[in-house]
Amino acid sequence: MIGRHAWRLAASVVLSLAVASPAAGQVLIRKRVREVPRTGAWEVSAGAVWLAGFDLEDRTAALTRNSTTDTSPFEQFTTTSRLAAATGVQGRLAYYVTRSVAIEAGARYAKPTLAVRITGDAEQAADVTAEEKVSHYVFDGSVVVHLPQLSFASGRAVPFFALGAGYVRELHEGDELVETGTEYHGGAGLKVLSAPGARRSGLRVDVGISSREGGLDLPDRRSTQTFAAVSLLYLF
Amino acid sequence: MRRAAGILVAVAVLVSALPVLGYLKLGSRASTGTVNLKWDDFPIRYFVTNRGVPGVTAQQLQAAVVRAFNTWNGVDTAQTSSQFAGFTQAPPFDDDDMTVLGFLDRPELDRVLGATTFLIDVRTGEIVESDIFFNATFPWSTSSAGQAGSFDLESIALHEIGHLHGLGHSALGETEMRTGGRRVLGAEAVMFPIAFAAGNVADRTLKADDLAGISDIYPTAAFQRDTGSISGRVTKNGTGVLGAHVVAFNPRTGKLVGGFTLSPDGSFVIAGLDPGPHVLRAEPLDDGDLESFFDATFSVDLNFSAKFHDKLAIVPRGGGTRDIEIKVSPK
Ligand SMILES: [Zn+2]
Repeated sequence: MIGRHAWRLAASVVLSLAVASPAAGQVLIRKRVREVPRTGAWEVSAGAVWLAGFDLEDRTAALTRNSTTDTSPFEQFTTTSRLAAATGVQGRLAYYVTRSVAIEAGARYAKPTLAVRITGDAEQAADVTAEEKVSHYVFDGSVVVHLPQLSFASGRAVPFFALGAGYVRELHEGDELVETGTEYHGGAGLKVLSAPGARRSGLRVDVGISSREGGLDLPDRRSTQTFAAVSLLYLF
Repeated sequence: MRRAAGILVAVAVLVSALPVLGYLKLGSRASTGTVNLKWDDFPIRYFVTNRGVPGVTAQQLQAAVVRAFNTWNGVDTAQTSSQFAGFTQAPPFDDDDMTVLGFLDRPELDRVLGATTFLIDVRTGEIVESDIFFNATFPWSTSSAGQAGSFDLESIALHEIGHLHGLGHSALGETEMRTGGRRVLGAEAVMFPIAFAAGNVADRTLKADDLAGISDIYPTAAFQRDTGSISGRVTKNGTGVLGAHVVAFNPRTGKLVGGFTLSPDGSFVIAGLDPGPHVLRAEPLDDGDLESFFDATFSVDLNFSAKFHDKLAIVPRGGGTRDIEIKVSPK
């Protein structure tokens, strides 16, 4: 109930602001209705995406200790693994099933570094960070819900939120080993469209969070990765 | 062979431990080159000498030997089988066309808990007979939780039966020199040449290195399809290092599998690895006596410091990653 109330309140603020704007008030409201893409419209977008890094499993190279009383392992060395942040590209194709709800297919590619820091060697081997470059692909589907009630800039700037799931495909350096996984994501953003018309271009900005399992991570481990993207879009 | 602790002589009689692959598969020189020792006919039929020692009856010996065989036979990724053929009055180490495991009095081998010998076809490397003796000079136990002061027969049997299958020694362990000999600090392979202390039963369980070794000799189709290998060289000032111990560590699973550089160009192969990135570490073979690993003709280079490779080695599924070069420096 609170949520719905807040939504109404937000909508009424937008409307009253529009109405309060002298002379152009009524016209503006009608215009905004036209700003929302028509049902059956398509939208393509492409741009840059930034993926945050995340920690992978830490491990100890453990030897079974020669003791019947001390059961702790004899530690030969320890590894700390992390997939570094990376910038990549992404593209999306959306279809408007209603004026405000679109279904969207997307693909993204980035080449993050997997870094394994090796420390604490029992025989004083120097600490090393061993790395590889990973080719990271995600193919996903999302439901994008636009919020025209919250639009501004004469209705050209439309907030949206999106929820979806994807297939993660990661190729290790050398391209001889592929590991796959799944992810779920949620995010929110803003689309800023050019002047009204059936065919329009614009800018899309999103931020979100992806919860992923598998890929170069252990099969039963879930990791969380935030992302941000800036794209150019074309609506037709 | 399994040593109680300390420096010792004599390796298995018929076999020169001249290996051609990681961990160590036992090899023997033939006119055509080196052949790997392996059984061609399964199940391996074995007899147990009908003799006990203080603390262990012949029946308890037989039960421990069966458990140890079953542990190897139970490795999912390897195809081996064995069959207890009965008790015998024959001692091990007789050339009698029977594979016999049993106790022998060998007080002169005061550091040897057990040893394995083979009769092989030198052309093919096929093992036709293999005997294992456990040195009755030592105190033994088959107690399920182990017994202070007595060596665990099942653990030592598991090690020797690894040899019987054609496995050599693993160097996955750390030792320290003490008066009276070398003491194990820790080991991560049943096939490490020096036993855990009396009373310890940890070596009843095979480790990743043991599993990779047995599976490399007797692979299942799934093992060949699902695991991969790393090959490369260890070099020092541009030339190959012979006898370096190379360990592949999986930073996702924590599994350790070892291998050795086995030719003058410093090349090594470690097989039986799970797909994925691996950390590589090269170290001198200084945690065991060299003759535990190689025959005397091997001129092992110990003059370098332990070193991690600065790249991750990516193991593909069912294939190998090649051309890795680990550059070490003199001490
Ligand atoms: Zn041995």
